[in-house]
Amino acid sequence: MTSKDLVLESSADRTIRFERDALVFTDQLYAAALRYTKNPEDARDLVQDTYLKAFTSFHQFEEGTNLRAWLYRVLTTTFINTYRKDQRRPQIAQAELEDWQVAEAQSHTSDLGKSAEVEALENLPDSDIKKALQEIPEEFRMVVYLADVEGFSYKEIAEIVEIPAGTVMSRLSRGRKQLREKLAVYAKELGYSVETSKKAVAKAALEKGDQS
Amino acid sequence: MSYIEIQCGEVLSSVIFIIEGELEQLPQRSAIEKHISACLPCTAEIAHERAMHDLLQETLRRTCNEQAPVDLHEAIHRQLRAQMAGTTEVVTQFSMTEISIEIDEFGNIEHREIQIEQTHIQHFSEEDRDETR
Repeated sequence: MTSKDLVLESSADRTIRFERDALVFTDQLYAAALRYTKNPEDARDLVQDTYLKAFTSFHQFEEGTNLRAWLYRVLTTTFINTYRKDQRRPQIAQAELEDWQVAEAQSHTSDLGKSAEVEALENLPDSDIKKALQEIPEEFRMVVYLADVEGFSYKEIAEIVEIPAGTVMSRLSRGRKQLREKLAVYAKELGYSVETSKKAVAKAALEKGDQS
Repeated sequence: MSYIEIQCGEVLSSVIFIIEGELEQLPQRSAIEKHISACLPCTAEIAHERAMHDLLQETLRRTCNEQAPVDLHEAIHRQLRAQMAGTTEVVTQFSMTEISIEIDEFGNIEHREIQIEQTHIQHFSEEDRDETR
């Protein structure tokens, strides 16, 4: 490294570069923060904290690598370290996450059930979709969001959330399944007849009972 | 043809790998592929899973596209500028000139000058300074 490289970027230049390259993701990060924190005030704070953290460690970011993925990683770790700590929320038991493949008894659905499920999903209001996403456990919600909304690969998600790739797959599978079960329950309430597992219906009824 | 090598249940519990295009990760990959090619219900189930996956993805993308409030953009900008102003730059400059003069026996004078310069910049944010206290 020559002396010229060292004086190349002043802190003003770095700020301009950061603003130009990173701030275009503000809306996206805000939408993700809404899913993580579930409320607009915390989402706001989380995005602000994320940008501040990202800015102060911007010199660690390797230019030419994926800035968007890096920002999501900062967002996710900031959320896990700061916001989640406050809630003292119980974590999903590791065992529950690990035997996912064996535990899920799989059987074929009828053709009628298939078309009903598609029809229900096509007709559910956006508010129900958001509500269902909010109700699935956080570990599942994060990976489903990162994969299905943000389009990150499961390998990128493993880095963003800092979990093994195999765990990403199991959370993705279970998260999508739980989401669909919730949506099926809402669809039923709207009068669509969707095949739902007895467990999901019983659970939904139980949750309803808790709220009243 | 025997496709009973593995059961439908095993194929269906691997659907995530099929949808994500990561079937090669599984040791039972070829048995699964063989089963699918011979089992109509599984083929239909996978097609349905794919369709539901695409539909769910499309629905989620349409639903989860909130815009950040206008004042959040401004707050972030202000925060970054304040952070920049609070950053201290320590510039260490080193400069040395080496001059050598040689006079040989015939009285010829040879004069050489070497300039060495080095600049090093370190950034300290407010946070760093707090930590060292």
